Amino acid sequence: MARAFFAWELGGDLGHARRTLQIARELRDLGHETAFAFLDLASLGVAGNESLEWFQAPVVPPARTPSPSPLNPPEILLNRGWGDALGLAGALRGWLSLYSLWKPDLVVCDYAPGAQLAARAAGLPRIAIGSGFSSPVVADPMPAMRTWIATDESALRRIDATLLASVRQAFERVTGTAAPPSHASEVFSADATLLCSWPEIDPFGPREGAEYFGPQDDPQLGAAESWRTGSRPRVFAYLKPRDARFVAILDALRAVAAEAIVAVPGLSKEHSQSLSSGSVRIHGGPIALGGLLADADLCVCHSGPGTVARALEAGIPLALLPQQLEQFLVGRRVVMAGAGVMVAPEERVPDLKGWLAQALTRQDLRRAAASSPIRQRARTSVAGRVAQSLEGRPWRA
Amino acid sequence: MARIAFAWELGGEYGHVMSCAGLARGLEVHGHRIGLVFRELRQLAVVPETRDYDAFQAPRSPREGIVMAIPAGYADIMLGCGYSDPRELAALVGGWRSLFSRWRPDLIVADFAPTALLAARTLGIGCVTYGNGFFVPPRVTPLPPFRVDTPVDHDRLAASDALVLANINYALKAFGAPALESVAELFATEENFLCTFPEIDHYGGRETSGYWGPRVRFDRGTDVAWPQGEGKRVFVYVKRGLPQLDALVDVLAASRHNIVTYIPDIDPARRARLSTSRRHVVSDRPVRLDSFLKSCDLIVCHGGEIATGALMYGVPQLLFPGHYEQLLTAYRLQQIGSACWVGPKGQAADVARGFTLTLDDPRYAAAARAFAKRYSAFSPSEQRRRIVARIEEVLAGRGAILSPPTRLGSEK
Repeated sequence: MARAFFAWELGGDLGHARRTLQIARELRDLGHETAFAFLDLASLGVAGNESLEWFQAPVVPPARTPSPSPLNPPEILLNRGWGDALGLAGALRGWLSLYSLWKPDLVVCDYAPGAQLAARAAGLPRIAIGSGFSSPVVADPMPAMRTWIATDESALRRIDATLLASVRQAFERVTGTAAPPSHASEVFSADATLLCSWPEIDPFGPREGAEYFGPQDDPQLGAAESWRTGSRPRVFAYLKPRDARFVAILDALRAVAAEAIVAVPGLSKEHSQSLSSGSVRIHGGPIALGGLLADADLCVCHSGPGTVARALEAGIPLALLPQQLEQFLVGRRVVMAGAGVMVAPEERVPDLKGWLAQALTRQDLRRAAASSPIRQRARTSVAGRVAQSLEGRPWRA
Repeated sequence: MARIAFAWELGGEYGHVMSCAGLARGLEVHGHRIGLVFRELRQLAVVPETRDYDAFQAPRSPREGIVMAIPAGYADIMLGCGYSDPRELAALVGGWRSLFSRWRPDLIVADFAPTALLAARTLGIGCVTYGNGFFVPPRVTPLPPFRVDTPVDHDRLAASDALVLANINYALKAFGAPALESVAELFATEENFLCTFPEIDHYGGRETSGYWGPRVRFDRGTDVAWPQGEGKRVFVYVKRGLPQLDALVDVLAASRHNIVTYIPDIDPARRARLSTSRRHVVSDRPVRLDSFLKSCDLIVCHGGEIATGALMYGVPQLLFPGHYEQLLTAYRLQQIGSACWVGPKGQAADVARGFTLTLDDPRYAAAARAFAKRYSAFSPSEQRRRIVARIEEVLAGRGAILSPPTRLGSEK
């Protein structure tokens, strides 16, 4: 029996919490103890009756003037306040106190760089999990994320140096004896990187040194839906209601799809009903994708790795409208493989009706999606396999 | 030796950390073990004496402050900090419970920390509250409004109170604890160290077992000497985000008085304007105020605990309240007659007028001195000594085993 501590610190929505909770449950089934430190405790969905133990993840106050387009992962951390050694020192101290209180044998970090760095300071094994973006490729200097823009290496080195200086200063304040990182890349290094994604849609893939398990969402989870008519084209869409393009996308779907099924998590029932029409059915929550995608002609989404993987596993092309960099990098892999089209977050929104209509006619997209290496790839019990992989690692003696 | 956890959950700035650290040190020298559960851990940098304490992040909602209504009372503040969603509140309570269950405090000192009180209740751990009048509301139902600048809708106030109570009881039930009959009951603790006086209580006077006087922690910071010259002595401590910063800088730069300014992270251009004369000193670090304020003629600040602290030294104030707690302090000090304040929408002319008035009209200084004289027996170190003694009484009453001081050292 060993003790695994799960940390989630950065990044929105519920993906991180869901993933870690599932993996932790599998570990408990294997006889181990688990605890959580989360950015957002509400995402636990009140697990009071499960007798779980959870803590608030220490908070680093964010930078006052963040860079609007961070060049590499260290600059993301600087945006999140890591350039202020005092703020970082406070958070590191919080993590170290939690470790000495709970005494984990292993720290599992799902976009939890502070927890990861503190685990290093405490001499605890640290495993990075995620869908790729939160576990960047480690190099010196840390690589640019926008590889399509020429980036001066000296700019990357400057960012790395700024981060490193702050991290070392924070380390000195807090840890006493532990050796601080000597390169910015060491801030990101982990004993293992376990990715709940596929190499073909890893934002930083293809790469060495990561184990891929596939996205672990449950195809049976969500409302049951099915195609009701034989008319084509059929479009499945997964959209966020707060996206500025939301209404325009729905209008375009009404115009081009013979039948569209749309998942809009967070939309009220009344609002979903009022937006639904004869050919477009909108749900205010997740939809069970089981057999739905296999019979669709196009999948429209914001390029989250889970939905993208589902579409390519079903061999369906994608029309992607990413909202942020991580989704854009996933989408870029799809576009480069020829299996989808994309409108970048900062790009002027085109005539979406024409854009979708054209995507639906492109046979090359269909062929590329149908021959995607991801197609039919098995991913049973992802959380269980990740848990087994964790169990098989050297934990603290 | 007892284990004592300090919980700071809501509010900002340095006051909570400074005051808690001061009291913690007083308890530590009596042999008690200290744990800190703080909203912001960055602030620990200003209290290096806490280095050896366990320090944890206090649970907090990432959706904090996303509410439609401007708070009119304490229940509204709670609704903006996780209490509007019963499941989220239960999750936050769970976060506190995990810390308390593992760390096992004998007593919790709650500084503006309602959810810590709630979690302690589910675990049967004793609590005391510690803070100024804003941080612990009067125990009436519904919790009373603190807004005084606009009419308060009492139906809405009662509705907020009822919603908070329902969600509190959901969370209590989730952890098998009995329900509360009122939100006010949450604040019935072993002792309420109400650190204010009736004249400066944010809620006005209230029924209470006693006022302990304001929290004054002026023994930290850099020693700065007053510039030597004719004229009066003015200390300025504002944030660089002050809407009238340039107007204030204009007034200060043109002044012939002796001025020490501390504006954290001030830009070089404004810094240069503030240091053109030998009589004008700009400090880059917080200024140690305990002896410095003894010969100060005016303090210019936002109205936090530093303003009430300065009042105890008989120093009049020009205030720029930045949030409602500070605005209420500004109202109180205006009632006393020791202060003049400029709100966020105040004009440059208001700043100039306020500066001249509070500095030149002797009635402000006289009112401040009269207040300080009324409470001349008040001493921050004596206050701390009495609070420590009362905490030990509470601990003894709860059956915690106390031993004589195990560490040598002076109480700071």
